[in-house]
Amino acid sequence: MESPQAISLMLSNVETIPGHSLVNSLGLVSGSTVRAKHIGKDIFAGLKNIVGGELKAYTELLNESRNEALQRMMADAHSRGANAIVNVRFATSSVAAGASELFCYGTAVVVQ
Amino acid sequence: MDEVVPIWLVWTIVSIVVTFAFPVISWALGRWYQDSLLNKLDVAEKNQMAAFGADQISSTSNKVSSLSAQSSVLLHTSIVVGPSMGQMFFMWSKSVFGGRLHSYDVVISYGRREVVRRLQEQATQLGCSSITNLRIQTSTVTFAKNSKGRTSSLEFLAYGTGIRK
Repeated sequence: MESPQAISLMLSNVETIPGHSLVNSLGLVSGSTVRAKHIGKDIFAGLKNIVGGELKAYTELLNESRNEALQRMMADAHSRGANAIVNVRFATSSVAAGASELFCYGTAVVVQ
Repeated sequence: MDEVVPIWLVWTIVSIVVTFAFPVISWALGRWYQDSLLNKLDVAEKNQMAAFGADQISSTSNKVSSLSAQSSVLLHTSIVVGPSMGQMFFMWSKSVFGGRLHSYDVVISYGRREVVRRLQEQATQLGCSSITNLRIQTSTVTFAKNSKGRTSSLEFLAYGTGIRK
């Protein structure tokens, strides 16, 4: 999917990177991914619905997808020369039955 | 041959039993399973709160804790939970009269508590001593085969900034 060497920037959802000082702001960056559920997992989740509780297949799928969205956002910020992203927010919406969009956005900054 | 129960009556009884047996069994199993999950969570939450400190989590961007911070990390975790089919059936019948939906209460509060507990666990693993600006989000997840788009399960997402001191 993404490049094998994962880009790792400093992220935070507060207005600064704690322990660092902001030098420059480079604007809004975002990343998103739309994922549909694997039909097998869907059937299994349907079976799990007999007792309710946590649906592990879905939890894993959404966590994976959210990491991918974060990776895309970080790639965007990296290409602008940022080394951190502040005020990261997440949004989730279900675009169609069986598919959901995971979106994250933040402000790319240079910190010291 | 006169004492034999008419076949249509047998079929009616069987079909009624089959229709109601599944929701009732599902409800009972779900109740038992979810109770055991909640009991487990009670213990885990208590242990973790004692270890992590209840005052170390805040939903504000705490300037004081940020000032003395060495470094920080973005923490995020989510959980998908759903009520059992039996609960959904009884909820559907309850919605005729309205009122409090106890089954959903249980499922939702379980999901929300569990996701915060997992965030704390993640913070501990990454060496963070506190979490600031904690946000909890809820969204619905629908199954592909569910063409009506009826809500089958809920996703809880918790995220925040972990502070290392």
